[in-house]
Amino acid sequence: MIGLDVGSTTAKVVSIENGEIKYDITGTHDWKNLLNGIEGEDIISTGYFRNSVPHRASVTEITAAIYGVRHFFPDADVIVDIGGQDTKVIDVRKNNFVINDKCSAGTGAFLEFVANYFKIELKDLGMLHLKAKRIPDSNNTCGVFAISEMISQLVAGYSKEEVIAGMHKAFARRISFMVPEGETIVLIGGAAKNEGLVSALTDVLNKKIKIPGEPQIINALGALKYYS
Amino acid sequence: MHVPKIGITALVPPEIIFACAGSPFDVNNVIPASRKYPKNKLCAWTAIWKDMLVQKEIKIDSLIVVAGGDCHNALVDGQKVAMSGIPAHFFFYPFDGYADYLGTQLARLTDFLGGVKFPEKFKEIKKIKKLGRMIDLKRSLGEISAGEAFSILISFSDLSGDLEVFQKNIDNIKESDIEINKRVALIGVPPIYHDFHETAQSLGLNIVFDELPYEFIRHEGNNIKELARDYSNYTFARPLDFRIGFLRKELEKRDVDGVIHYTQFACHHMLEDEILRDELDCPVLTIQGDLPGNTPQQIKLRLEAFREMLERL
Repeated sequence: MIGLDVGSTTAKVVSIENGEIKYDITGTHDWKNLLNGIEGEDIISTGYFRNSVPHRASVTEITAAIYGVRHFFPDADVIVDIGGQDTKVIDVRKNNFVINDKCSAGTGAFLEFVANYFKIELKDLGMLHLKAKRIPDSNNTCGVFAISEMISQLVAGYSKEEVIAGMHKAFARRISFMVPEGETIVLIGGAAKNEGLVSALTDVLNKKIKIPGEPQIINALGALKYYS
Repeated sequence: MHVPKIGITALVPPEIIFACAGSPFDVNNVIPASRKYPKNKLCAWTAIWKDMLVQKEIKIDSLIVVAGGDCHNALVDGQKVAMSGIPAHFFFYPFDGYADYLGTQLARLTDFLGGVKFPEKFKEIKKIKKLGRMIDLKRSLGEISAGEAFSILISFSDLSGDLEVFQKNIDNIKESDIEINKRVALIGVPPIYHDFHETAQSLGLNIVFDELPYEFIRHEGNNIKELARDYSNYTFARPLDFRIGFLRKELEKRDVDGVIHYTQFACHHMLEDEILRDELDCPVLTIQGDLPGNTPQQIKLRLEAFREMLERL
């Protein structure tokens, strides 16, 4: 049995063999390459495309995230799942969730805007952030207009690294509006690998944030655990 | 004899319009299936009826704008319609529930409509509303589907403009034998998606209470004084604590597992969400719609996740 999470930008597969978690990650449209001959009967799916791929059962990303996070952090109060096209914040204690999918600010798409503008890899944003000596304030909460704000900051003399750090701060502030009070906050999704964003979110929330070893596979794992 | 078609923008006692020899027409009821995308909008509901009235896509003789105690955007969009040449009357509910004030409003409305000509309509409509409450009850027992019930209950705002036609519509309601899984109340303004109830049902959420349509069937009266006394408790026009007290009773009576709070983009009712979430003693899913059409995938995801959450409780 496998957990298959086919999201907006990436597809992830998880199996548990002899108690060990095995996983693989690829682009959304290459999800078939993850199956290695496994039939739908043995697939528990989640993610945007959960009902479009073969499956024995499907579960939403919200429920999958809860089951997946519990595997590593049974005491999680709040889960923040930053996806390519939306951000989900789940209040585990109150069985409540909010999803931001109307505005790119506060989703992975916003970070892609920033990376594309500087013609750098998405994964390099975090490393560059950590080199910033000061962090500019951003007033604009719109992901698209943030580009013009970045240009203004560059014109004002801020370095590329500082502008990126400023964007991470704006991103973190946007997400913080969705986050309820809680002791243990767990961050999952690909954006959790961006150490600059994690630093900004830690500062804005003033909380310690826990991140699983491979934050991108949590929903695939959760789908599997939900059915097990 | 020409029966004047009287547009209404929200709940206006249809009893008055029929008694004054008019035919009420709720301008909102055509919107979910309209596929209209208005320019310069805040709330799509008011923007679409405003556009359709100004452009004469909906033909009416006059418009009653509920400008106080419900929809604030209607106050401005109603004036735009009035400026286009359609006679308009602005109607205000009392925030404090003062029945005498509403009596004055109803008297002014009666004057605008040319006075009461058919007082017997009050009793006729009272009988029909009793049938509405029966439909509402049957729906909560699974004897009528949520979609079928909603389509008729929402039409109680204008009774389809013709009491005979409406009575036939009621007679033609299909009865069902539905196994109710999760009992859900839908509060707030009605969804702008025409298939919302059917979609929710297909995802395992059975809507057993529609807040606003319930207001359409529960107020009645044999004369203007009784109408004023009853409609002054129209919950959407009253302070939030009054509405919450009423909701608590209805939710308990219907034994709901959860609440869906539908909010409309740029509608002031959105601001009520955090209070409703805090005050209602059951899980609440808040969703927000904008333009009319089918229920979008993003909303379906939330509904499905909400059902999963209710199953975990």
